[in-house]
This record gives sequence, C-alpha cells and structure tokens, in this order.
Amino acid sequence: MRPWVSAEGLVWAGAGAASVTGDVLVLSVRLHEPHGVAEARAGRFVLATGAIHPVQIDGAHVTARAPWGSMVETFGGLPVVPRFGARSYDWLAGGRVAQKVANAMTLGVSYVQRREDGEISNEEVGADLAAVPARWFDVAAFGAYDVTTPGLAEARASAAVRWTDWRVELFASQLSPGRLLPATSLFSVLGDLPSQTLGGTVRWRAAPRLDLLASGAGQDVAAGLGGNGWLRATLRLDDHGNGSLGLELRRVDVPDVQWTGVRAISTVPLGNGFRYSSEIEIVVPDHPDGRGVAWPWGLSSLSWRSMKGWEVAGALEASSTPLHRYEADALVRLSCALDTTTAKPPLRGEPTASR
Amino acid sequence: MRARLTLAMILSVALAACAGILGLRHDSPSHPFEHRAHVLKGINCVECHADVSSAGETGPLHFPTDAVCRRCHEKPHDERSCSGCHGEPYVRQAAELARAQLRFEHPTHMVAVRGDCVRCHAQVVESRPDSVLPKMASCFGCHEHRDQWTLRDCDGCHVGLQAEGTPPDDHIVHDGDFIREHGVRAASARDLCASCHTERQCASCHGEGTVPALPWKLALGDVSLSGLHRAGFAARHAEEARADPGICTTCHTESSCVDCHTRENVAGTTARSPHPPGWANGEHGVQARIDPTSCAGCHGGAGEQLCVGCHRVGGPGGNPHGPGFTSRKNAHHDLPCRLCHGVGG
Repeated sequence: MRPWVSAEGLVWAGAGAASVTGDVLVLSVRLHEPHGVAEARAGRFVLATGAIHPVQIDGAHVTARAPWGSMVETFGGLPVVPRFGARSYDWLAGGRVAQKVANAMTLGVSYVQRREDGEISNEEVGADLAAVPARWFDVAAFGAYDVTTPGLAEARASAAVRWTDWRVELFASQLSPGRLLPATSLFSVLGDLPSQTLGGTVRWRAAPRLDLLASGAGQDVAAGLGGNGWLRATLRLDDHGNGSLGLELRRVDVPDVQWTGVRAISTVPLGNGFRYSSEIEIVVPDHPDGRGVAWPWGLSSLSWRSMKGWEVAGALEASSTPLHRYEADALVRLSCALDTTTAKPPLRGEPTASR
Repeated sequence: MRARLTLAMILSVALAACAGILGLRHDSPSHPFEHRAHVLKGINCVECHADVSSAGETGPLHFPTDAVCRRCHEKPHDERSCSGCHGEPYVRQAAELARAQLRFEHPTHMVAVRGDCVRCHAQVVESRPDSVLPKMASCFGCHEHRDQWTLRDCDGCHVGLQAEGTPPDDHIVHDGDFIREHGVRAASARDLCASCHTERQCASCHGEGTVPALPWKLALGDVSLSGLHRAGFAARHAEEARADPGICTTCHTESSCVDCHTRENVAGTTARSPHPPGWANGEHGVQARIDPTSCAGCHGGAGEQLCVGCHRVGGPGGNPHGPGFTSRKNAHHDLPCRLCHGVGG
C-alpha cells in the first residue's frame, strides 16, 4: 500500500462437532504521517496505552507527537463482544498526555471512561513512567485509580540492571481484582481485598549457550502471606538456538494453594526441514482433594517446513487432569507463510549528522 | 579437603567435557576472521574490502574473494576457500540481512569518517568479536536522531521493522521473564512496541474470543515459545487463578470461564462442580472477596441473580459490602446497586 497507509487483519474460523464458529481479532487501517508526527488507527484493534487496561475495541485511536517529546492520544469506540455478540449502548472513550523529560524519561497521564448499557462501567485515571537513566539501568511503572469506587485499581513497577552476562530485575505490583470488573457487575461491590507482590528475577548467561533464570516473589493474597518461585535452564544446541533443551522447576505456596511442578522441553532439528519437539510437565499438588496425586501432561511433535514457507506439523498430546483421568489428542496443522518482503524503497535522505 | 579437591576435579572434567555443548569451545572449523591481526599489521581495510568505497544500497556485498587474500597469502595452507574457515557464516548472513533491511550507503560514511572504518566497526580490534556490524548505539554516536526516536520515525534507516522481525541485540532487549514484564514496560511506550510488533501479536493474547488463535496453540511444535497457558495449563488453571487473584482478568473478560465450564459440564450443581460441599454456607463470601473475578467468571451477567436471591436488603445473605466500602453511584438507580437497593428498597 502507500507509505502512509497500512492495513492489518487477523480472522479465524473453526468447525466443531455441532457448530461452525469464528471471530475477527484484528481488522484495522492505520494512517500515519511519514515522519511520525501523527497517526490514526481505525477498525478493530487492542487499545493499550499508559495505565489503561488493555481492551479490544471497534473504534479509532488518534496520536499526535511533537519533536520536543510531547504526545497526545485520544480514543473511543465500542468494546468488542466475542463471536459477533450484540451490544447495548456500550462504549468507551479517553485519552493520554505524555511528555518526554531530558531524553531519558517519559511521564504520562491517562483517563478512560467505559459505559455498559449506558451506565458507567469503569472510570479510571492513571499515571505511567518509563525511564532509562543509564544504559545499564531502566525502570517502568504505572498506576490506575478507580474513580467510580475510589481506590487503587492496579499498580505495577519494574526496575532492572544489566551488566555483562547478568540481569537483575525487581518488581512489585498491587492488584485489586474487583476493580478490574465492570462497575456494573455485582461482584465489583464486594469490597475486595487487594493482593500485593514483591519479587525479583535474575538472569545469568552461564555459558554462551546456557541461560539460567531464577525468579522468586513474596505475595500477600489477603488470605495470608505466601510466595512462588521458579528456576529455569535453557541450553541451546547450536549457536543460533535452532535446537534447545530446557528444564524448569516451580513451586507455588500461598494459603490454600500449594503445588510443585517440573517441566522439560526439547527441540531438535533433524535436517531437511524436519524438527522434533517434545514437552513434558508434571504438577504435584500438596492437597490433591480427590483430583489425582499428580497431573502429568506431555506433547510430542514432528514438523516439516519447506523452503517455500509451507509447514506441516503433527503432534500427540496426552494428559491426566483433575477433570479427565486420561485424555489424548492428535493434532495436525498445515500452514503457509507468504513472503511479505518488498523491494527496498529508495533512500529518503541522509540523516543529519549532529557533529 | 580431599573430598573438595575431588569434587573440583570432577566439575572441571565435566565442564571440559561439556565445553562444546555449552558453546565454550567451538567444534566448527570456522572462527571469527582475524581482523585484529590485520589491523595490527597496519593493513588498511579497503585493501581487502576494495569495493566498499563505491558500494551502493544494492549489489554484491563487499566481502573479499580468495583472490584478494592470495595477493598477500601467496602460499595458502589449504586448497579450500579461505572464507570457509576464516570468518563465521553468520557474519555474512547478518551482513546480507543488513543490506536488505537497512537504508545505508558506505561511500557517504567513508567520507564523513575520513576513511577510518574502525570508528564504526570498533569490534575489529577485539580478538574474537561476535560480530563486526556496528551496534545501533555507535550510529547514535554521530546521528543523534532524537527527533526520529521521539517521533518513532524509524523508516529513515530501517526498511520495515515489522517485516524484518529481528530482535535488537543492544537496546530494548526482551530479557528475563518478559511475558510478565511486558505490560509495565509497554505502558509508556506502546508506540515504540508498535515499531516492530503488529496488532495481530497483541490481539493474539489480549483479544476477546482469542483462544483458538493463541500463538502457542497454533505453534504446537514450538515448545520453547513462552506463554502463560503452555503445557498442562488446563489441569493447573484453578491453582494458578487462586494463587494470583485477578490475574485471569488481565486478559479475559468476567464471563470467560463459563463457556468452557458449561461445555465440560463443571457448571451448576453437577457432581463435577468446582465448589466443595457446603460451599454456599461456608467459605464463599471470603473467597469472593479475595477474587471476585473468579466468581464473575461463571456467575457474571444473568448469573448475578443467584447472589441477589440471598444478598438483598433484608435477605438472609446479609450485607455483601466489605468494611469501608464507598461508591459514587446512586444506590437506587445505578447498576448494580439497584439490584438490591432498587427504588423503595
């Protein structure tokens, strides 16, 4: 299409034993000024900006930017109802204003109001922050405040430092589940108990092909204190990561919920476009309560990809769950990726050197 | 002491044995080209990369041929092509990708840096560099591009980031537990994310009714693909939801659960009901306050009438509001207040 317009779509359809179904996930057109000063999206897309909770809408989103780092966004539309469901006077509208400070920090303020059946369903103001004070340190955070039933709806923060083969991230969050529900829902008036999480993640590239990742968090989930943690090792079988082995151990221990899990993966390229993959997981709950002492799950697949973008994949999946003592499925997929590479457009002009 | 020594020896032997697997030792005969040795000999880059001063945006890459090497190395130690061992294959692949995806011409830069190639290709002086392609940070050393960065105007240099699909190796690195982290990182930089990522990628997870199109459901053979719902999620989803109240609502609507629970016959008063015996008279109030989104997953919408049957003004269920509950809503007219406090209630 033209350099100032692009379009995107993602539609799926499927047939079950008794019905045919489908949905439109994305169907949008984007117009943009070639130098990025303004852009507009219209159609069906996921609206996610600032502290606004991501929501899929049929609507429009307009953004204007200035070279000195100011940005103004405004949006409006109808929240999507799955499977072409009916709406009854449901809509949302809002906006965000952001400013870049000292080329290292972005501060934003947002507002959104959502209505269902004409009634206020959600009304939130939010603030967001992203900063990169140094190449080895970055931080991001946002918070959303519920105006309808005054209180903090959601807040998240993350700060990370990076050096050589290490990366350490500290994160914190507070989530008030009831405020994530529409204010028209009866469950939004229970006066819910927010949960808080404080934790950290460490990544160490122990060897050129070996990554070790560890994460742990303490949680206050209203019913009491708890925590969760996991260890993950990934070994690439070649320099490009075409093949890999992985092992993950996980433990969750919060009031009423305790389980331990182990998961192993392997991907091995067999040559001539063939690839074998397998994945195994075993979860052992501390309190089975008649749901089985362990919940094993496994998948084994073989795929072949042609040079022209066609891929055929087949897999066997087997599991034992609290619902089904034994379950096995055979999966087959045929796909084709079209080459979207286009001829390189001409050089627009040598960027201006500042010194 | 002796046991420690033995353990250290065993670990050393194991590490040596695994050196190839871990990538500490290369099994392939190829190795990074000896740029450093050539630089130290005072050989000018253009003596080997002769075409670089006239190379445009298209045409062949400026890698030297065997004939160029043999101008100095008159008696090669091997009959095979020099580039088969001297130089990693991925360096050529990276150069081809850069040729296809970047708007860049060497001649203009050669003039600007007065023929000093090392100013951009600083890695050539390292003994075993991973790559000799300049990092984007070194471009920014001269081209500040502040305006372009602020305006998300990447097209000046990048042909098409969404089609390129190459993760950056020196900025905006998606590292660590990025699935959890991406939300807070994207909050202030949605448009930066959109420079490389398509709407489809967001909608695959955050869209309504998206389950059949989930990337890890479609990519059944790509077991290394990250995703919250990977592996035996169906078995542990109740535990996951209870351990992290509200997490499901991050992507799903309040009525997402009911479709599946109805299909699997775990809804209502069946023997497969997810609620333990005596649920209605016991814990349900506390649990509903801990994670009301779980309740709404099945009992939202018309199902709310189930609650109102008891929790109405003067009803046997009592007051469902928690301590200190306040709301700006009109109790008699607005939803959901009027379900219990309707006019005259």
